[in-house]
Amino acid sequence: MAMYRPYMVPITPLTVVLFATIVIGVAATLTAWRARPEPGSLPLVAMLAGQSWWSTCLVLQVQAMTLQAKMLWVDVSWVGVVVIPVAWLAFALQYTGRDEYLQCRYLVLVSLVPVLTIVLALTGEYHDLFYRESRLLVQNGSLRIHRTVGPWFWVITGYTYLLGLFGGIPILSLLSSDARPFRGQSFALLLGTLAPWMSNVFFLLGFYDTSGLDPTPVAFSVSGVAYLAAVTRFRLFGASPSPTHRARRLVFTKMHDGAVVVDRHDTVVDMNEPATEVLGVSPSDALGSPATSVIPSYDAFPDEGALSTPLSIDSDRGVDRYDVSVVPIDDVHDRPLGRVISFHDVSDILRERQRLKVLNRVLRHNLRTEANLIAGYADLLADGDEAHESRLIKERTQRIIDVGDKGRMVVELFERDWSEVEPRDVATLLDSCVTDVAAEYPEARVVVGDAPTDASVSAVLKPVVLNLVENSVEHNSADAPWVEVSARVVEDTVEIRVVDNGDGIGDYERRVLSQGEESPLEHGSGLGLWLVTWGVDIADGSVTFENRQSCGSIATVRVPNVSVPAETHAR
Amino acid sequence: MFECNKTRCVTIGGCHGGIPVPRRGKYMSGEAKEVAGGVSNPAPSQTESTQWFTNPAEGVITAFRYSSAYLAVIAMVQVLLVTAALSLETTLAPAVVGLVTFAVYVGDRIADADTDAATNPERTAFIKRYERVLQHAVSLSYGLAIALAVLGGPVALAITLLPGVFWILYASEWLPSVTSHFRRLKDVLLVNSFVVAFAWALTLTVLPLAFADAPFTPAAAVMFVYFFLGIFVNVEIPNVRDAAGDSEIGVETLPVVLGVHRTRHVLLGVDALTASVLVAAAVTGVLDAMFVGALLLGLAFSLTVTSLVGRTSKEELLTTAAESEYVVVALALVPFAL
Repeated sequence: MAMYRPYMVPITPLTVVLFATIVIGVAATLTAWRARPEPGSLPLVAMLAGQSWWSTCLVLQVQAMTLQAKMLWVDVSWVGVVVIPVAWLAFALQYTGRDEYLQCRYLVLVSLVPVLTIVLALTGEYHDLFYRESRLLVQNGSLRIHRTVGPWFWVITGYTYLLGLFGGIPILSLLSSDARPFRGQSFALLLGTLAPWMSNVFFLLGFYDTSGLDPTPVAFSVSGVAYLAAVTRFRLFGASPSPTHRARRLVFTKMHDGAVVVDRHDTVVDMNEPATEVLGVSPSDALGSPATSVIPSYDAFPDEGALSTPLSIDSDRGVDRYDVSVVPIDDVHDRPLGRVISFHDVSDILRERQRLKVLNRVLRHNLRTEANLIAGYADLLADGDEAHESRLIKERTQRIIDVGDKGRMVVELFERDWSEVEPRDVATLLDSCVTDVAAEYPEARVVVGDAPTDASVSAVLKPVVLNLVENSVEHNSADAPWVEVSARVVEDTVEIRVVDNGDGIGDYERRVLSQGEESPLEHGSGLGLWLVTWGVDIADGSVTFENRQSCGSIATVRVPNVSVPAETHAR
Repeated sequence: MFECNKTRCVTIGGCHGGIPVPRRGKYMSGEAKEVAGGVSNPAPSQTESTQWFTNPAEGVITAFRYSSAYLAVIAMVQVLLVTAALSLETTLAPAVVGLVTFAVYVGDRIADADTDAATNPERTAFIKRYERVLQHAVSLSYGLAIALAVLGGPVALAITLLPGVFWILYASEWLPSVTSHFRRLKDVLLVNSFVVAFAWALTLTVLPLAFADAPFTPAAAVMFVYFFLGIFVNVEIPNVRDAAGDSEIGVETLPVVLGVHRTRHVLLGVDALTASVLVAAAVTGVLDAMFVGALLLGLAFSLTVTSLVGRTSKEELLTTAAESEYVVVALALVPFAL
């Protein structure tokens, strides 16, 4: 009696579906193979190959004409059966970026039961752990094999379902991803996995009569289509979530700031490398210890938000200062789990601020005092033969005082927290600036043009506009100097224009300002325009300079209209 | 049967039909190299390539030619020759071989598209333009081939899987990347030609037997030897053409070691050996004399082609002629079949 009936498989719905399953399975396997080395591609190849092998073995088993041949194909089908859950787990871990669990030793461990299963399946004639009894039945004119399963069958079945569950968890989490491709991918993958598993569950529970034939491979046709859809439609290997998991950890471990995680009992449970340097402790000493013993002044920390004053911590370099912020960690039900405490080194900033204060004092007091003394001595010479020289000395001294005043304004510009200063009404601000300059330069005509009455800007615009107007008057050699300041609302911004008939701003000066920095060889002529540029930057705006066609210049400042609600700005 | 070109695509079956195997080992930099004074030609742009399809018929012919579908047809002819020689019943074997040939060879064309750009720019442009469609076609045709082979039983399945397995052993970079102990067979002198010839001859001969559930007879052995020797010759033909380039990059092939002149003699000797085997088979009655006559006619054609190796600049035509040997045999048998 022949063992097989080549291409004599009866054409039934089952064989047609199995045929389609093999075609789709092999096609999907090759498609996944081409995607190498994309994360998850090789495990997916193994899984699809396992499914195809199982389906193939079922067809060959149906073809077989003897009990021995049918038993053989059932037994060797286990090679494919046991590959599927291991490959599925490996795929899920690699695809979601948890490949740290895919080390060789773990894979060997996970594969122990499957390998033992294959050994037991292939040595079935020497024991009844897998199958207790096998016999041939004739059903609907076809030969069918019926096998009574042994205890190991249930062991491998349970193990398979366990691995399937473990693999499904990380994939399941992607269903709620913000990224549409990941949602589509995970849905297709879960559908492709659940279809055969549910089919197998129904078969094992005896929900339908299949004459002893496990219909799981039939459902692989659904799997193949679903996996192909994941690859082609949802770009399974084109848009991969695999870096996400590691990236989040990477941000924590590699961030510049120190970060310490404490649980709800204020026990240190995690910390990054900078935190060990900030706190001067090793992770082995700190982890598991009370936060109060690791972090200085821990009891003074707020439950949430920033510590009001910088935290001082002694180090080898002296005393370092840190801005401390506390972010609570809650579970999905908003129940507290712990907190993340971050330490941002502000030592350098505070040192810079200290230097600015000293500079401010020098500019405000020392420089002005010395300059006034020089001017006083120059006055003593005014009535003598050196009257001309005396006048020159006083003019130059005044310039020194002016530079000092500008420098002081710059220092104040950076020292103040402008976000806490009340915004200024635009019309009032312009009037104020014009009045100040007009009083100082009575020979110039300084006027306010159109200005909206319902718009406000940051208070930092006061020194900005003042300097622009002053600059327009100072650098103006016209016989009848004039400056006009106007403003208008443009969408959610305020545009302030300062127009004059002065000497204009040279291309060189504008180029230096647009570069944003000076060098010893390339620098501007003073501090005024720098103050304008920095002030506008603080106000989150922009400034442009252009020369008028006839004479003079136009400075245009655009800053947010802070009287407009914040959401409008965001838009 | 399979076309070979300077940038290296020899196949299992080389120019005689079989599983294509890229020869990138010789030009592994991935760049198209000038060989023996050849000039690198950039692949035509898509705009240029669209000019091929001025009418549907021309489009079909172009697709048939550049997608290697014609090689699949030749492979099917070869299986039909075995079926006729061994008096087997008509089975699905020719379809399976055709699908496998198409899948593996188009897959090889896609993989080698960059290195083929210099010597075969028009085909490369076609492959690159339709790469996505062709990739799906490769997957589906191999899947269909496997599914059909399952209907032929386990032996047919194993034989159908053979090309894929041999491709991995022969040319894939995957195994060497996994273990340093493994060296690709294509990098081993002469082994590549023998492996190619063996794998392809086995597939062509055994698959129809497996489908027909027929034993391996002396006649089958003769057909195996016939294909093995023929394929060996056709694998070495492109090596003769590439001798200068191979020598430049340090790859040892028969023409590099023996020289073009002596290699041609060796190949003619192999053809002569094939003829001897066929005559012996006819004399002993292993194969039908009329059938052997048709095979000898094809062999005479092959001898003519082989004798021109190294003596003509029309290398593409020579390659196509070598591939056409089995079509000549089939045409010779048509009057008897009618």
